[in-house]
Amino acid sequence: MTLADVNQAAAGRQLPALGDAAAQTKSRGIDTTQMRQAIAAAMSRSKREIPHYYLSETIDFSVASDWLSSWNAARPPAQRLLSAVLLLKAAALALREVPQLNGFFAQGAFQAGQGIHIGWAITLRGGGLVAPAIHDVDQKSLPELMHAVRDVVQRARLGRLRSSEMTDPTITITNLGDRGVEAVLGVIYPPQVAIVGYGRILARPWVVNGQVTARQLVNASLAADHRASDGHLGGLLLTTIGRALQSPQTL
Amino acid sequence: MNKQDVRQLATEVLAGIAPEADLATVGAGADLRQALDLDSMDFLNFVIGLAAGSNLPIPEADYPQLYTLQDIESYLSAKK
Repeated sequence: MTLADVNQAAAGRQLPALGDAAAQTKSRGIDTTQMRQAIAAAMSRSKREIPHYYLSETIDFSVASDWLSSWNAARPPAQRLLSAVLLLKAAALALREVPQLNGFFAQGAFQAGQGIHIGWAITLRGGGLVAPAIHDVDQKSLPELMHAVRDVVQRARLGRLRSSEMTDPTITITNLGDRGVEAVLGVIYPPQVAIVGYGRILARPWVVNGQVTARQLVNASLAADHRASDGHLGGLLLTTIGRALQSPQTL
Repeated sequence: MNKQDVRQLATEVLAGIAPEADLATVGAGADLRQALDLDSMDFLNFVIGLAAGSNLPIPEADYPQLYTLQDIESYLSAKK
């Protein structure tokens, strides 16, 4: 079973027979039992086959947070942005500079993705998880990305994702959001070669110009396939994301 | 809006965001984000719905006044 199967379960399609034990538990067109089994298969394959390495970096999100507040203050709710889209765009721009983490490991070698299509991990209310693609993230504006994220989250929860959206991601991002924990180390979705994880953005003491001051911080992590890249390159991705977030007006 | 109108509006908007949720089980002082497992996108959609239904701009700085049903009632009924 592959990631495509996980995503097919989310799209409400029928998988090959899973046996009598598979009780058909449906939640809004999503078969949660099928999804659980598909996630189990994909994640087991990942941990069996992919030699993961893990990196993590604390990023000062204060400048981005202030920029976001002033953007949102001037706009009605329907035009406001979430911090998640800044994190998404920053990762896409960093992947342009570190393309070795954007793609697949197949037939014993890394194959670069055609475009930066980020699988956005979405928790489903009935249980389970899908990560459909948001296409060409590096080429979209923040309002376009906000629209794309809103659209894909809504359709994921309704079980109305397209099968192409399921197989397209060239990397995955898991973002824990404003009620999550501080940090996450992801499990790579095969055949992708990396997953970026963002923890909750939170106020913490931080040293700036020799002074301890309260800042908005976010932990960014990377789990990557050691067959395809090394830690030096992975570190470059995280520091590039951090740098991009210091210039939110250019995202 | 009076408090009953506000309650009705909040119920309708939430039904579109979290159809599985039973608002009757949520206490007036409970944080809706926790009680109904709303993420930041859900909450923004909730604000969009409240703003559209009340014709109020609802600045982001006021979001903390919208976390519980009783606070929402006070906030929206106070502003005409």
